[in-house]
Amino acid sequence: MTQTKNKPHKGRTAQTVKTRRHRLHVPPGSTTTFTPTAMSQAMVDRLFWRAGFGPGAADRAAWTGKSLDDAVDSLLNTPQGALAGPDPNVDGKPLDPNGNDTDLVLAWVDRMVRAPNPLVERMTFFWHRHWANSRAAVSPTQLMETQNALLRTYGDMAANPDVSFSTMANQVSKDPSMLRYLNGESNVKGGPNENYGRELMELFTLGVTHVITGAKNYSENDVAQLAKSLTGWLINDKDPDNVTASFDSSRWFNGPKSLFGTLGNYNTDTALDLVLSQDGHAPYIVDKLWSEFMPTPPPTATLTQLAADYTASGRKLKPLVRSILTNPQLFESIDEPNMIKPPVVFVGGTLRALGLGISSAGPATYLDSMGQLPYFPPTVAGWEGGLSWLNTNTALARFGFVADAIANAPNGSPAKVIDIPSETPGAAFDRAYGAIGSPWMSVGTRAAIQDYSTRASAKASKDRIARQVMLRTLMLAGPDAQVM
Amino acid sequence: MTIQSEIQALKCADCARSDSAVSDLRPDSLLPIPADALSGWQDGRPGSDGVTRRKLLRNGVLGFAAVYGATQLSFEEVWEAAVAQAAEPMQKSIVVIYLNGGNDGLNCFVPTSAPEFAKYQTLRPTIARSLGDGVGGKVGTTIMNNTGGTLAFSNKLVSGTGADRNGDVIGFDTLYGDGTGGVGSDLAIIPAADYNPPNRSHFESRDYWFAGALSQLQTGWLGRWLDTYGSQVNPLQAVSLDSSLSKQIRSATAPVCALEGLQNVGFGVPGVTADVNSEVGKLAAVPFGATNAALGRSRNMMGLTVDVANRLSTLSNVAPGPGYPPNSGLSQKLQLAATLLSAGMGTRVITIDWGSFDTHGDQLAGQDPQLSTLSRSLAAFKADLAARGVEQNVITMVFSEFGRRLEESDSAGTDHGSGGPIMLSGSAVKGGLAGEHPGVNVNQDGDLVVKTDFRTVYQALISEWLGGDPNAILPGGPFDGIHRYDGGTTLTKAA
Repeated sequence: MTQTKNKPHKGRTAQTVKTRRHRLHVPPGSTTTFTPTAMSQAMVDRLFWRAGFGPGAADRAAWTGKSLDDAVDSLLNTPQGALAGPDPNVDGKPLDPNGNDTDLVLAWVDRMVRAPNPLVERMTFFWHRHWANSRAAVSPTQLMETQNALLRTYGDMAANPDVSFSTMANQVSKDPSMLRYLNGESNVKGGPNENYGRELMELFTLGVTHVITGAKNYSENDVAQLAKSLTGWLINDKDPDNVTASFDSSRWFNGPKSLFGTLGNYNTDTALDLVLSQDGHAPYIVDKLWSEFMPTPPPTATLTQLAADYTASGRKLKPLVRSILTNPQLFESIDEPNMIKPPVVFVGGTLRALGLGISSAGPATYLDSMGQLPYFPPTVAGWEGGLSWLNTNTALARFGFVADAIANAPNGSPAKVIDIPSETPGAAFDRAYGAIGSPWMSVGTRAAIQDYSTRASAKASKDRIARQVMLRTLMLAGPDAQVM
Repeated sequence: MTIQSEIQALKCADCARSDSAVSDLRPDSLLPIPADALSGWQDGRPGSDGVTRRKLLRNGVLGFAAVYGATQLSFEEVWEAAVAQAAEPMQKSIVVIYLNGGNDGLNCFVPTSAPEFAKYQTLRPTIARSLGDGVGGKVGTTIMNNTGGTLAFSNKLVSGTGADRNGDVIGFDTLYGDGTGGVGSDLAIIPAADYNPPNRSHFESRDYWFAGALSQLQTGWLGRWLDTYGSQVNPLQAVSLDSSLSKQIRSATAPVCALEGLQNVGFGVPGVTADVNSEVGKLAAVPFGATNAALGRSRNMMGLTVDVANRLSTLSNVAPGPGYPPNSGLSQKLQLAATLLSAGMGTRVITIDWGSFDTHGDQLAGQDPQLSTLSRSLAAFKADLAARGVEQNVITMVFSEFGRRLEESDSAGTDHGSGGPIMLSGSAVKGGLAGEHPGVNVNQDGDLVVKTDFRTVYQALISEWLGGDPNAILPGGPFDGIHRYDGGTTLTKAA
C-alpha cells in the first residue's frame, strides 16, 4: 500500500499530457467531442456520477445542452437543503443511530439517497475517507456524529463558501473523535503518544514523500517534535450528548521544539500552520482530492498549477473542487465509463435509480460485504479504492444487493415489479431499462440482455415477474453498472 | 452487525492496515484445488496417461487459489507439476507468520538481571511483567533455560492453567524445552531483531522485512528465492493464506498463489430459477476498450466469479486438527497450512498475516490474549504436522515489523520502537536463545539498541534450510552470523 500511496508521479512527461488531451477530443470509438459549453447527456451523466450518486431524470433535463461551468457552479452553490421523501426505517421502526451502529450507518446512507444536492454528501464522505476515524475504536457514538457534522460543514460549500483546509485541519485536530481515535487525549507532556502526530503528516497533510519530487517530507525527529507540540488536549465525555475537548496547558509540552528545522514553542495551532506551509502539502491534498473524481492522476503541469492556486487562495476548498470538476480530464473515455464506483456510490446510486429509501438493514450489511462500511474504515488510511474495489467476493456482494433490492422491493414502492401479461421480450427490456433510470450500457451488454429477454420463459405470471426482476438486476448489477 | 474483529479493537487503528498484501498486482487466473490433491491422492495418482482436468475434478474441488506470475500455465501443466512433486520426497518448507502492527518483544521475553529488570519495571509502571509468579495483578514470568537466567518468558506464552498462563498444556515453554537445541528443544528465540537505523513507519519497516532489504523492492525475499531455486510451473509452491498475495512471496517469474479459504460462490437472484451465473458470464464476456482498466476489471472479476461457481461441484471443509485454540483466525489458517503441506503438492512456502499488535494503548488487553493464542497455536500446529508425518520438513518463523519503545506511553501502551522478536519453531530448529538480547539498553531516541540484523536470520534459513546462496537473494550481504547464547552459530540442528 505504501508503494501505491506514496509513489511520486514519475514518468508524467509532456508527451503523456499531450496524448491524453488528444484522446479527450477524439476518444477512441467516440461519437462525441468534448463541448463544455453544451454538454451531451453522457457528460451530464458523468458529472453527476463523479460528483454525486448518478443522474436523475431532472438532472439530465436541466443540464443536457447546457454549460459545464454552470452545472458545477450549481452543485457548488446549492445548499444541501431538506432531505426529500419518507424518513428511513428498519422493518417499520425509526433509526436509532446512537443505540445501534447499523442504524448509524443507515442514517448516513439515507442522506446520500435523499439529499437534494448530492455533492455535499460526496464531499463529506471524501473527508471521512481522508480523516478516517472508525467507530470500532471511537466511543461514544456521538463522537462520530459530531465529527460527521463537522466534516459536512466543509462538504456544504454553498452554506460555507470560504472554508479552507487550514481551518478544517485545525478543527479536526481538536475534535474529540480524532483525539480519541489516534490517542491525542493520551498525548501529554512527559508521555508523548506519537500516533496522531505521525498520521497527521503521513496521511492527512503531507504524505511520506513529496508527490512530485519524491523527496522526504519529514523526518522521524519531526514526528517526535510534532507529537510534543500537539500535547495538552483532554476529552470530557461525562455527558455523551455533549462531549467536548479542552486544552489543559498543564498537559502541554511547554518548551522549545525543533520542527522542520525551525525552533519554536509550538502548540497545536502553530504546529499545524507550519505543517501546512510545507512544500509537500498542496500537491498532496490536490492529488488526493483529484483522485476522488478521476481514475488517472493529474498531469504534473496541472497538479502544479492547481497546487499553486490552492496555496494562493489560502487553501480554500471551493475553488479547488471547481477546478477539478471543470477539468476536461473528468470526461475522458466519455463513451465508456472508466472508473469503478466506490461501494457507497454504487449503493446510493442504485437506491436513487430505483426510487427506494432505507427500509431494512440490507444496505449496511451489503456495504460491509462490498468492503466500505461508512464510519468503519478498515484503517486510518481510509479505503484503498480504485480497481481493488472489485474482487470475486465484492462482485457477489454488489450483485446480491441489487438483486435483493429489486426482488424484495416493498409493496407500493416504485421499484416493486408488477406483471404485464402480454408484454413482449422487447417491451419487457424497455420497461426494465426505463425503470432503473436508463443508465449507460455498452452495445454488447444491451444485445446480451435483450437476448436473455427473448429466451426467458413468459408463460406464467411468476415467470414474467422473474424475467423483469432478472432484466433489471442484470442492468443494475452487471459489469457495466460497476463503472461511472 | 458483525464487524468486530477476533481481537478486541485497540485504540490505534494503524495495525489493521499493516498487512502484507500486494495491492498493485492482479492474479492471472484461478486454480481449482481438487479434493484428490488435498486428501493426499487417496484415489491413487493419475496414471501415465497424464493428469486430465476431468480426472482431477471428478471428486470435487475444495477451493481456488489465485495464481500470480503464471499466465502461460495451463491447469494440466500445473497439476502435472504438482503430481510429479507429490511423487518425490517432501522438500524442506517454511511457514512465515507475520504479526501485524509491531509486536512488543520486551513483554514477551523479559530481561531478569536486577538492574535491567528494575529499569524495565520503572519505565513500565502499568504494563511490566513481574518476576516469578504474577504479583499484584501483573503477569508473571518463567525463566528460559540455558540463558544463564538472564531472560524469562512472559507467562502468557507459557503452558499451564494459572491465571496468567496460556491455559493449555502446550506452549512456548514446551516447544523450547531445555534451550540447548538438542532433542525436544525445538523453539529458537531471537529476542530482538531489526536493522540500522531502525524505521518506525509501519509501511516502510514491514516492506523492508518482506523484501529482505532496506528498500521497498518489487519482489519479496522468498519470491526471489523461488525465482532462483523454486519451480517455474507450480504456483502451489508458495501460498499466501489470504485474499491477496503477500509481498514476501511476490516473485519476478516463479508462479505463486493466494488461497483465502474454501468456500462456495455463485450469483443468484431471489425468485429467479434461470441460470443466473450463465447470464452474468455472457455479460462478462462482452469486449471492452483496451485502455479501460476499470471496465476490464469489472468484466474480468464477474467472469472469474462465474468461472469459480461453475467449477465448484463438491465442497468440503478442512477437518480441525487437535489442540488448536478455538475461534481463532490463526488456528484456521494453520490448519489449512497443515493440510496443504501434507497434501504433497510441492508447497514450500506459506505466508500468514495475523493479529493486531499495534498496542499504543491498553497493551495488556490487546497483546496478552494474542500471545496466549500464538503460543498455543504454534504448539498445536507442530503437533498437527507431526501427526501428518511432515513435521520434520517444516520450520515456522514468526516476526513483526518492529518492536516497541522501552518506556510505556501514558495510555498504558507503547509507541513504535525497534527490535521485534523472531521465533522459529520445528523439530529441525536448534532451540534456545539464538540472538543477543539488548536488555534495556536504549539509544537517544528511546529505541532498544539491537544487535541482530533480521537478515542474518533469513541468511541462515536459506543457507541451512531452504538451500541456495543467500548472497544471490539478499542484497547487501553477507551478513553477520547467528550468535547463540551458548556460543553456537546455527539455527538448525542438522547444520
